[in-house]
Amino acid sequence: MAQAETGKTEMGKTEMGTADKGNADMGKPGMGTAAVAAARDDRDGIAAFAETARHAVAACAALPVRERARQLAGDGLLGILAPESAGGLGLGPSFAAPVMEAAGAGLLGYPLAETLLLGAAFGSAPVGPAIVLGETIATIAWAGIAEGSGDRLSGTVGRAPLVDEADLLLVATRTGAALVPLDGAGVTVQPAFGLDLETPEHEVVLTDVTPVATLDAAATAALREDALPLWAAAIGGAAERCLALALEHVSTREQFGRTLVSFQALRHALARQKLAVEHVRAALERHAALVAAGAPEARLAARTSYAAATRFGIAAIESALQLHGGMGFTWEVEVHRHLRRARTVEAQGDAPGLHRRLAEDLLTANA
Amino acid sequence: MDRDVSTLPPGLAGDPYRAHVRAWLAAHVPEGFLADQPGFRAPDLAACRDWEAAMHRGGLAGITWPTEYGGHGLSLREHLIANQEIGRRALPESVNSLGKELAGPIILAIGTEEQKRRYLPPLLQMREIWCQGFSEPNAGSDLAGLRTRATRDGSAWRVNGRKIWTSGAPNAQRCLLLARTGAVEDRHRGLALFAMRMDAPGVTVRPLRQMDGREHFAEVFMDDVVIDAEDALGAPDQGWSAAVRVLAIERATNRMYRAWRFENELNHLVRACRADATLARLLDGGAYHRRLAETVVDIEIVKAHVEPVVDSLLAGESIGDRGSLMKLHWSEAHQRFAALALELLEQAPPGAGPEVQAARARFQRIYLSARAETIYAGTTEIQLGIIGDRILKLPRESAKGGR
Ligand SMILES: Cc1cc2nc3c(=O)[nH]c(=O)nc-3n(C[C@H](O)[C@H](O)[C@H](O)COP(=O)(O)OP(=O)(O)OC[C@H]3O[C@@H](n4cnc5c(N)ncnc54)[C@H](O)[C@@H]3O)c2cc1C
Repeated sequence: MAQAETGKTEMGKTEMGTADKGNADMGKPGMGTAAVAAARDDRDGIAAFAETARHAVAACAALPVRERARQLAGDGLLGILAPESAGGLGLGPSFAAPVMEAAGAGLLGYPLAETLLLGAAFGSAPVGPAIVLGETIATIAWAGIAEGSGDRLSGTVGRAPLVDEADLLLVATRTGAALVPLDGAGVTVQPAFGLDLETPEHEVVLTDVTPVATLDAAATAALREDALPLWAAAIGGAAERCLALALEHVSTREQFGRTLVSFQALRHALARQKLAVEHVRAALERHAALVAAGAPEARLAARTSYAAATRFGIAAIESALQLHGGMGFTWEVEVHRHLRRARTVEAQGDAPGLHRRLAEDLLTANA
Repeated sequence: MDRDVSTLPPGLAGDPYRAHVRAWLAAHVPEGFLADQPGFRAPDLAACRDWEAAMHRGGLAGITWPTEYGGHGLSLREHLIANQEIGRRALPESVNSLGKELAGPIILAIGTEEQKRRYLPPLLQMREIWCQGFSEPNAGSDLAGLRTRATRDGSAWRVNGRKIWTSGAPNAQRCLLLARTGAVEDRHRGLALFAMRMDAPGVTVRPLRQMDGREHFAEVFMDDVVIDAEDALGAPDQGWSAAVRVLAIERATNRMYRAWRFENELNHLVRACRADATLARLLDGGAYHRRLAETVVDIEIVKAHVEPVVDSLLAGESIGDRGSLMKLHWSEAHQRFAALALELLEQAPPGAGPEVQAARARFQRIYLSARAETIYAGTTEIQLGIIGDRILKLPRESAKGGR
């Protein structure tokens, strides 16, 4: 994931190192599926993307929001999923994942998942290019529904990251979703007291607001499903970053006359954090491969990645905080910021509802 | 035949090899063999042998092995497909998995041409069942501390010592034996691997009663057992590296059907609960939704770990220490699921019907046997140690490693 200095490179070395002839005996090389072969060819491109994303995210930290948008757009990161006609790159989730991982690891203060999704969903609408170019900041209200018909929408929506800085907001409606302007009359933005500090959530009260574009129910449902692996990657990147921080902390701090990392209990805790990071990564890679192969299992794989991230990824972040001891409870150590974001993403994606749907699907399949 | 096949995701259909496997299974699975179907009777050893020999003839065992040794000369891709289909059906566990999945690959890797021809065909034909003689009373996690000695006797070897928890030893014809040719202090050096005949004079097997009531693992005593030079596998000091390779396979690719069998178990659990009004109410009430969903996710994660291993092996890369991540997950995930299944089914009211009783029996077995999954092939604690030492490369003070 995003942090090259942690486990990724270690794993990479093991995997890519000297080929073990004994294991190679078990099968013949070169028999991978087309999708796998394509994914391998893409590897260099994806790695370059990840590198670009890390630099861009780091650069954003010192910039005001509008300039973050231009920075990210300038590096081609806002239009990864958007069609080329809208100035996007028309790429798949295998490219979006490392960028979201970098955003998660680097605590990016920009609604990147929302931008990627809206760029794709409104790629052929007039507003598309401005979103992809970072000229218009658009975000999504993940909770609530706006009532009304046609060009008059009213209601209170919430869980909208960074909406106080945005120009456009996607809200759920009875027929799908609508993109509403935030600069006109009939819009009140109020604080929502969420946990996240990077892209704080707000509530928005709409009164007879006219949308600039809409999505039908199918496109809206698809957008929500497409959000899942993006969120998973962000939490995965955050978990990997927190593991690196925890590892660093226990490797340098001494208690009882020895470095903390020599205590097996802590080594095992770090190993479980690593396991969590690898679960999320494996789930995301499987999702990307299934999407590339056009397989219908991709949908379950997307849900799996998000469920894995909210379950194992968040537990890893909490464990990393624990390994920091008292330092972990300070404002200064960034682990709490990751935890705040991850818990917010868990709510935005309605992880409890997702689990309910997974169970219902299982029960229906065995009815 | 069984219903989960009809609900297969379409993306997994279509492959011609898969079609062959399905058709073969549909035509050949014996009556009463499937643990999730009415009329299930646990097959005995002879029935399992016949079944596995038939699977080999049908192209479903020895899939990746060269044809000159009785294999089918296909790739791990086909091995994965066959395992997915086998996993989807509640078939009995192999009684020769140690032979097919551990001894075989290691013989292919380090055996001589003559040894491959001698060991592999009878193994696939189920004329020779193998067991794995690694652990000893004082060398479990700390495998490198094993004491069974192999000393030169002319061109042959003479072996003395004692193995324990040797699965399948009472039924085995051969043992993949790890023994020491050097001093105990040499630890990883001076270990050799043998293909010991279980009927050799001096070999005594004493079955151990397991916590699930079965007598599947055993103690194996070796008292001046003579092993011919032709039954020594690899060089006398290659034993440890070969053993490590065996363990990597054991953790990562052994029983590749695991995720899909796990899915079969979950589907069976739901169907069985549905067959009883009380249990159906429990399921539909929603209180179990979270744990059911987490089981679904756990299973998908097992798949997400195992499929790339196939890809990287196909690309000539090694499994490496990734096996520890996988083993840790599947063993713990399966225990979580088994506990859920037991909790649900044990709420069946008195007088519950045969479908529920059959499921109770299956999931009680699974619950008990799953306790061993975090113990064998390297315990949970050992896997965590490997992840810390070798994947995270955490600095450490002592250089002593376990298995
Ligand atoms: C069902 C079953 C089948 C088996 N089949 C076979 C077989 O066919 N062939 C074979 O060779 N072996 C077999 N085994 C043996 C198995 O490999 C060993 O039991 C296992 O390696 C653990 O060794 P042990 O029993 O000596 O436990 P110990 O090593 O004594 O461990 C006891 C406890 O201490 C923990 N522990 C040990 N070392 C450490 C450490 N360094 N740090 C932290 N915790 C530690 C362990 O995790 C465990 O919880 C089987 C075991 C079972 C249960």
